[in-house]
Amino acid sequence: MDLTLIVVLVIALALFFDFTNGFHDTANAMATPIATGALRPKVAVTLAAVLNLVGAFLSTEVAKTISGGIINEGDGGVLITPQLIFAGLIGAIVWNMVTWLLGLPSSSSHALFGGLIGAAIVGAGFGAVDFSVVVSKVVLPAILAPLTAGLIAYLATKLAYAITRRYDGKPDGRDGFRHAQIFSSSLVALAHGTNDAQKTMGVITLTLVAAGLQTSGDDVQTWVIVTCAVAIALGTYMGGWRIIRTLGTGLTDVKPAQGFAAETATAATILASTHVGFALSTTQVASGSVIGSGLGRRGSKVRWRTAGRIGIGWLLTLPAAGGVGAIAAAIALLGPIGVLIDAVLGVGIIVTIFLLSQRNEVSASNVVSEVAASGRAVKIKRNPKPKKGKVAK
Amino acid sequence: MIDWLAFLLVLVASLVSTCVVVAAYSLGIRLLTVSGRTPIVTPAEFTDAITIVTPAEIRQAEKRAAKAARKSPLTESQKRAALVGAWACFGVSALAVLVGVYLIIGEHLFELFS
Repeated sequence: MDLTLIVVLVIALALFFDFTNGFHDTANAMATPIATGALRPKVAVTLAAVLNLVGAFLSTEVAKTISGGIINEGDGGVLITPQLIFAGLIGAIVWNMVTWLLGLPSSSSHALFGGLIGAAIVGAGFGAVDFSVVVSKVVLPAILAPLTAGLIAYLATKLAYAITRRYDGKPDGRDGFRHAQIFSSSLVALAHGTNDAQKTMGVITLTLVAAGLQTSGDDVQTWVIVTCAVAIALGTYMGGWRIIRTLGTGLTDVKPAQGFAAETATAATILASTHVGFALSTTQVASGSVIGSGLGRRGSKVRWRTAGRIGIGWLLTLPAAGGVGAIAAAIALLGPIGVLIDAVLGVGIIVTIFLLSQRNEVSASNVVSEVAASGRAVKIKRNPKPKKGKVAK
Repeated sequence: MIDWLAFLLVLVASLVSTCVVVAAYSLGIRLLTVSGRTPIVTPAEFTDAITIVTPAEIRQAEKRAAKAARKSPLTESQKRAALVGAWACFGVSALAVLVGVYLIIGEHLFELFS
């Protein structure tokens, strides 16, 4: 098959992945402000789309992690062909769509890494993947980032409640946190743009390097940044309309002060991680924050079964997307006909899932799934009275 | 090689920045309440997820806030000081966010526009 044609195909597929990523993740930034009524859904979604667009322009650290490091491409390494990247992307998109349909919590970023790793192993053997980089830049951040965000959100929630608590029963003004939420959720959307749009930029750069159109280690090209930014912003905007339909069925019980603390913790963790080049999952960080902030409220208790289900979903993503990526790579290695079979199969699966999702009723479990499910992992008694001397229970 | 230092950096940086922002804002709200101007912010849209606030409930909340403000033991000048303090706290919170964002993307911004 013509090299340019496959490169164009891969870029189109990568941009589609970027679109599904935005689609999947609108809820991360905007579920809490919509739930507390800090922002009108329409305003929230538009704001998220615009800030994702802006955020995509602000950093390329994560793109560099993906395009240079995890897979040993370039001089002295193995040859990663655009065909393999194509197969990896199919794995990522298929897993992303399947989990979205089933309402399973999953991370778009892990689906992407899993798919690419699976395809690289099938195509070029285990030597193709630098597992120490996978562990240090993907697996460990995946475990530590939600814990970090959860801990920070827990402390921040305690702090916010402790500072505004009044024992005399007079109004405590916690409504005022709604104003703050507008800013904190905007910051999360911005952070999402800086981290998630980068992942697609990294993949496209990897493709360009593999096709010999760009040298390894070069900066991300401007047109790549622009198209990725637009794709994720469009996805975010489109995803939002489903969330608006979902809201009627109820989100989690989030109070303004708690939402503010959770969002600030999410934004801070993502921004700091982006800065050092950790490609973490924004979904997992946001979920960690929602659980942490829930625990920070009085009378709360973790529903370990729900939390455990979320955790298993996280663990499954990398190997499952890797499996799909590996199968796609095995087919792609048959030659041009294999790539064609992959493309037809991929499009077929995507169209089927889309049609299935149209048939199913839109409910909280399949759109705002991840973050909302994390909120349900914490059980909170309704408004227990504050007692002096026994504040933090 | 696992870069534990980078993890520690992320943990400490996010912890400190989050606590500064949240504490400053909370303190601002506390001072605003003390100064007799309890913020009553109604939800932008009523969803099932939140306690629905009817116009009557909003009026009630405003009345309660006004009553609490009248009974406040603080003098007028003390209330004014609290109000100034409240806005100073909101300012600190906003500034902390801006500084944080600048630290992370400032360098890149210069590259983008130079």
